[in-house]
Amino acid sequence: MSLWVDKYRPTTLAKLDYHKEQANQLKNLVQCGDFPHLLVYGPSGAGKKTRIMCLLRELYGAGVEKLRIEHQSITAPSKKKIEINTIASNYHLEVNPSDAGNSDRVVIQELIKTVAQSQQIQSSTQREFKVVLLTEVDRLTKDAQHALRRTMEKYTATCRLILCCNSTSKVISPIRSRCLAVRVPLPSVEEVCNVLSSVCRKEGLLLPGELAKQIAEKSGRNLRKALLMCEACRVQQYPFSADQDIPETDWEVYLRETAHAIVSQQSPQRLLEVRARLYELLTHCIPPEIIIKGLVTELLSNCDGHLKPEVAQLAAHYEHRLQLGSKAIYHLEAFVAKFMAIYKKFMEDGLDGFMF
Amino acid sequence: MSKLSLGRKTSTVKLNSWVEPSFGDLLGGSAVKSLGLKKVSRSNESLSKARSFAEDPSEKKPKKRKADSHVLAHQFPSSSKTSLEDRDEPWVDTHAPNSQAELAVHKKKVEEVENWLRIHLDLKRANQGGAILLLTGPSGCGKTATVQVLAQDLGCQIQEWSNPSTTSDYRADDAYTRVFDPDSRFNSFHGSSQTGAFQEFLLRANKYSRLQMSGDSQSTEHKIILIEDFPNQFYRQPSCLHDILRRFVRTGRCPLVFIVSDSLSGDRGSRLLFPKDVQEELGIHNISFNPVAPTSMMKVLSRIVTLEAGKGSGRIAVPDRASLELLCSGSAGDIRSAINSLQFSTLTDHSLEKGLWAGKKGKPASSSRKGSVKGRRKSKVHRATEMTEDSQAIGGKDASLFLFRALGKILYCKREAYEGSETPKLPSHLSEHQRDKLLIDPELVVERSHMSGEFFSLYLHQNYLDFFSDIEDVTRASEYLSAADFLTADWTSRATMLEYGSSVATRGLIHSNSARSSATSQSSVGFKPLHKPHWLHINKTYRENCLTAQSLFVSFCLPPVSLLTELVPYLAQLNNPMRNQAQIAFIQDVGHLSLRRFPGRLKLEVLGDKDPGGLDLDSEDEDSSNLATNPSTSTTAEEPAEQAEPSVEPTNPSSSQEVGGDFPASQPRPSNTEALLEEEDLIIEEYDSD
Repeated sequence: MSLWVDKYRPTTLAKLDYHKEQANQLKNLVQCGDFPHLLVYGPSGAGKKTRIMCLLRELYGAGVEKLRIEHQSITAPSKKKIEINTIASNYHLEVNPSDAGNSDRVVIQELIKTVAQSQQIQSSTQREFKVVLLTEVDRLTKDAQHALRRTMEKYTATCRLILCCNSTSKVISPIRSRCLAVRVPLPSVEEVCNVLSSVCRKEGLLLPGELAKQIAEKSGRNLRKALLMCEACRVQQYPFSADQDIPETDWEVYLRETAHAIVSQQSPQRLLEVRARLYELLTHCIPPEIIIKGLVTELLSNCDGHLKPEVAQLAAHYEHRLQLGSKAIYHLEAFVAKFMAIYKKFMEDGLDGFMF
Repeated sequence: MSKLSLGRKTSTVKLNSWVEPSFGDLLGGSAVKSLGLKKVSRSNESLSKARSFAEDPSEKKPKKRKADSHVLAHQFPSSSKTSLEDRDEPWVDTHAPNSQAELAVHKKKVEEVENWLRIHLDLKRANQGGAILLLTGPSGCGKTATVQVLAQDLGCQIQEWSNPSTTSDYRADDAYTRVFDPDSRFNSFHGSSQTGAFQEFLLRANKYSRLQMSGDSQSTEHKIILIEDFPNQFYRQPSCLHDILRRFVRTGRCPLVFIVSDSLSGDRGSRLLFPKDVQEELGIHNISFNPVAPTSMMKVLSRIVTLEAGKGSGRIAVPDRASLELLCSGSAGDIRSAINSLQFSTLTDHSLEKGLWAGKKGKPASSSRKGSVKGRRKSKVHRATEMTEDSQAIGGKDASLFLFRALGKILYCKREAYEGSETPKLPSHLSEHQRDKLLIDPELVVERSHMSGEFFSLYLHQNYLDFFSDIEDVTRASEYLSAADFLTADWTSRATMLEYGSSVATRGLIHSNSARSSATSQSSVGFKPLHKPHWLHINKTYRENCLTAQSLFVSFCLPPVSLLTELVPYLAQLNNPMRNQAQIAFIQDVGHLSLRRFPGRLKLEVLGDKDPGGLDLDSEDEDSSNLATNPSTSTTAEEPAEQAEPSVEPTNPSSSQEVGGDFPASQPRPSNTEALLEEEDLIIEEYDSD
């Protein structure tokens, strides 16, 4: 039994539930024969990956669905061994080069080279190129991106690249200009609702429209999240009721509580508690960027309009440092401390103003 | 007779060769000059000496020296010779303590050792097996001296092990003998003859004492086996030693005393050789010595000086009290080095040697020394209050701080009020930044802590919140810490910026603590236990968990972020039966966040005060400035040696994966956390933040 997300994932371009026009365009793209490099971008949970897989199926037929997970080890020129997992079919290779950290350049060059150097066997019946799918391109180092640009040109006869990322802002412009950029926006609330109810129908469940709408809103239109939520709802309670509360992930609840702890008291002792909670979140693999983002969202909803710009700016400041620095906790803690100070001052001023 | 004495003399020289190079030349030359050419006036002589060096520096020296010693041995009658020998011998040996009163060790420590020895020397009769005492402490704090003095007092012998030179033993262990000698096959100590020899030594020492019991002399009845020198094999395989000790404990008849010096860096002898569990198993009693307190050191030094001044009749320059104090503070509680440098300094102050010395060793060394001595004398008043840590005197020990103290120095940031008028005033709009003068130099403290600035900052970060009361201050402090990390962000400039980073962190932390801004406002915060930083462990767990997640759920083809923030947490809420055990365990562990208010996962580990100086109620100890601030009557060092060399072992588990009660016990836990559980052996104190 697999997850609903996987079970009901559309497999062909024709079966896609939303952005049908774009699906058509992609179909035309495949049919016209001259397939360019693609840069697919859009927010998380919008269906980029689904769309890419559909596209590949359109290109190569059902053969692409036979996936195998391979564990490759690549030796860098510095004799350093890099281990990386790839997912491949006979026609394509998917890899997340940012897994390799700083050695991602080597991974890109080596993998693409091996793929591109092996010709398709039956080039008469099939396409003469293979596809390399690189995910999280925006997390590649600059070094790797430049290497990518060269590799792209060199092997263009035998290999096409599909790059997948959340935002193009971190992709260097030479790459952007070499690719056909395809943006996959988030589905609208209605579209999410439609997907949810169609999935539930296929499962033989009855999903009230209100609940579907709530899930869609709560998931932030992230379809993956919405489906997971919906499935969690099913586990929690069935038959569904319209006003049932939607299960959230533990870490979100925890983060919210942390934010409450920050707002309710501002003292060094409290900061110590908050630090422990931050550590706890980190051990549960919540990346520091997500933590600071979540905290800011929660804190902003708790503070006065005057404070909001200041807090937002603070968060930006420390998030920047967090990205550059090496020890996230310093910056997270500095942000919390600063917020505490601002908030406390604000409350005291407010109290004074109230009294006089 | 003279030949004999010459022979004896050379033998002492040989024995004390570690001190010889610095003294011998000087002594030989000077002695001959002053004795042999008494008539020549001093200034003349030093001149001619200098000239002779200039003329023929290469061959003159060795020749002269050899000739001298002959001349010396033949010509002079015994009276002057004894004084010569005295001068040649290091004062450490000539003035070794003979009674308990002369020991520079604190009385209570001596008592403790004495009691132990008394008890176990008696118990020996009751045939209760061997008892083991372990003495630890910094070098030169009088461990060996204490044992020797006590052995004298209690009327027992000391039998000491010294590592044999390997060559002779090795030959016996030759391949031929091994093949042809059937007995040697049963000798289990082929490869490690030292270990074998050691074991045999213990055995014999044991037996010997039993045989001697029927002997006539009272004094030989008791015996202590003393081991200061460990066969190298034990450092590689401490279990070897443990096995031998186990056997000894069963069969031993006399107390066995180990002496291990603490060291800040390196192999941590005592901890490697005698881990906690072995200590408990074998009932090893551990007594740790403190560095010698300055007052008692002063006593010893001045005693020696008076003795020598009486004996030497003007040949040695009697150092004044100020320079004695200087020696005291320079030696960092190491009485051996203090006496050595005392002996040396009395020589160098001798007007005769000055010229010679300067000529030989080159100007800079001597002049800088003299300069510094002068400077220090001038600032003597100051020093009395300050008790500086700058080292100066020749032979001064490189003062190093144990981490615990170093952290204390930064966190408690002692300040000193300006005297009256010289207080620099900040303009009124900056008045909140007004601070009194710091008593410490933060950079120096970091340097002395033997730790990279980054790790030091981590320790500070872990502990600073306890010392702050105002959230504004905390804000500023955390800002500085963040800035310090940010400074080192760029790898190209990292090497240079590290230093600045730690400077920003320490100074920022000190400055931002406005509650401790002036000398008067520094009411005691009381003792706060210090803890080890969590970050390293957290970061490691974070990365490991991420990797585990990616490898376990690779079939979902998700980027790590959405995998960890969406899939895994929801999987935890779905009861989806298809996953394998490792996945289930991982989901249980990582996907669930216990919503308890205070996470039980994080255990605070108390930073042990390796340096027991702050722990004992040593009333004589007024030395280091942070002693006063650490009235640490509680917490004896639980994990003395545990205070982390993170550069060596950055993955020291600082918190444990608690086995949560809400997990089904049947579920296996992910492998990495299991490994951590095994590593974990030092939970000290439950963390309660309320």
